[in-house]
Amino acid sequence: MESPPAIETRKVSFGYENRVALTNIVFSARAGEFVALIGPNGSGKTTLLKVLLGLLQPSCGTILLFNEPLSSYAPKERAKTIAYVSQQPALSFPLTVSELVGLGRYPHSSRFRPTRDDRSVVEFALQQANAQHLAARSFTTLSGGEQQKVLIARALAQSARVLLLDEPTLHLDLYYQLQILAALKKLSIEKQITVITVLHDVNLISLFADKALLLSGGTVRAFGPVTEVINEANVRDLLKVDMTTIEDSKTGARCFVPRGPFSIWRNPK
Amino acid sequence: MNRKRQICSLIGFLLLVTFFLALNIGPVRISLLELSPTDKVILFNLRLPRILSAFFVGGGLALAGAIFQGLFRNPIADSYLLGVSSGASLGAAGAIVFRLASPMANFAAVSFFAFVGSLAALALVFYFGRLNGAFSIFRLLLAGLGVGLFLSSLVAILMLMAGEELKALIFFFLGGFSSSSWDTTWISLACIPAAVLAACYFAPELNVLLLGEETAESSGIRTGRIQLLFAVLAALLTSISVSVAGLIGFVGLIVPHIIRLIFGADHRTLFPLAFFAGGMFLVVCDAVARIIIAPAELPVGIVTSLVGVPIFLYLIRKESGDYGL
Repeated sequence: MESPPAIETRKVSFGYENRVALTNIVFSARAGEFVALIGPNGSGKTTLLKVLLGLLQPSCGTILLFNEPLSSYAPKERAKTIAYVSQQPALSFPLTVSELVGLGRYPHSSRFRPTRDDRSVVEFALQQANAQHLAARSFTTLSGGEQQKVLIARALAQSARVLLLDEPTLHLDLYYQLQILAALKKLSIEKQITVITVLHDVNLISLFADKALLLSGGTVRAFGPVTEVINEANVRDLLKVDMTTIEDSKTGARCFVPRGPFSIWRNPK
Repeated sequence: MNRKRQICSLIGFLLLVTFFLALNIGPVRISLLELSPTDKVILFNLRLPRILSAFFVGGGLALAGAIFQGLFRNPIADSYLLGVSSGASLGAAGAIVFRLASPMANFAAVSFFAFVGSLAALALVFYFGRLNGAFSIFRLLLAGLGVGLFLSSLVAILMLMAGEELKALIFFFLGGFSSSSWDTTWISLACIPAAVLAACYFAPELNVLLLGEETAESSGIRTGRIQLLFAVLAALLTSISVSVAGLIGFVGLIVPHIIRLIFGADHRTLFPLAFFAGGMFLVVCDAVARIIIAPAELPVGIVTSLVGVPIFLYLIRKESGDYGL
């Protein structure tokens, strides 16, 4: 009944010049799955994303993208299959939003003239990211949340089946965080896009992700369905934070409330 | 594309007007309708090569500036500020002083050594201007300034060392277009259009690179190759400009900036428009330099600086925010 994995790592390790960053990473994600990467700062989350994208070559192990080794993909073919939203790049030139999203068509389009197809994909990507009203604006004049939606739209315009994101909710207010994660969730359900994203908030992970990968010191501490791996014991081990699990009386969703290690809270008791 | 056609016809029209006016301007009055034999010599052997040189040098500098700005994702970059022009001067001066080439006898060889010098300067700026894979605006400018000052001092030392070659050096560093002839023009005619075409062909890749190297690489671009290609193109444009006309500042800074304000930041339109606008701008500046204190001539670099520096300072004040300054 289960489809073959969209992306799969087999004992992947990676080291920078003077230190090991990832050791024996084993995990896989299927079409339409929403996988959250969580771990303390410096645990190798961004490095793992870059290895999955082929930006960094693993020192050993293999990565399979739709059952083909990632290294066998030509750059443009790879870009048609897997797209990336990095932590916000500083764009210093006033490209318009639709020009910027159009850059996502690079691996598909001919050199000079955007086709009608390109234009409709750009429009659709903006719509998926709830950013169609921004199309004519200059990117540099947008707020942080608007910029993030546009950058996600750019990745969507690549028409890839796997989407990797590095902290897409960074610096955003709660409304934008929820809006962006809801848009990604919808893509994973309706378009069967595999979403792999770094997220720090265990509550948002519980709400949106199907699976979670807990990363610490470059090794996988736990990987599996969110309901199994995001729990008080794992969070304490991974993030050194004591949590209490409660249930939302309205939706039945699990929520986590921190209670330690710092003991200065506003409310008495 | 109706707008495209309009812009093309506008450029064609402006080109014709600038060339016509520039051909008419000079110490000797010439009627283009009734040419005497001397008029023909003045027109075809003095004024035409001079105007063509000014056009290709201006276009080349503007395009080099646009390339550097895109390459470093930084609106305040051009050959002059980055020290690349100084590298070209050093290369040319070294070649002249050590008698590897002479500007009178073998102009192409001087240009070649200027090219080597500008590549070396660019490599230094790349090395010192980079921190954790990014070019910060301050680091880049300081690196360019440092490299430029250092190389200029080396040029000064070379001038002191020069014996018989001093005359050739001075001739070379006088700059401007007063010594332009077909000998110095043909090399820009040959190389600069080729560089313009190459830059326009690879403009889509540089567009994606504006989003950062990781995003570009993940979009299927071999970023290292594209960056190297554009670095070599910009160094080539700079070195030809410097060997034809000496140090001319601010064309590469201001022209792409203004084109970007009007037509947007897409390199596919920015590159050709910056080339044509920069060319016409320098033809006009050179015409001004010829007539403003006639019969003497002002060095054209002074004219571009007088026009350019105020615009540059204005942009620093005005464009904060939008350009991330």
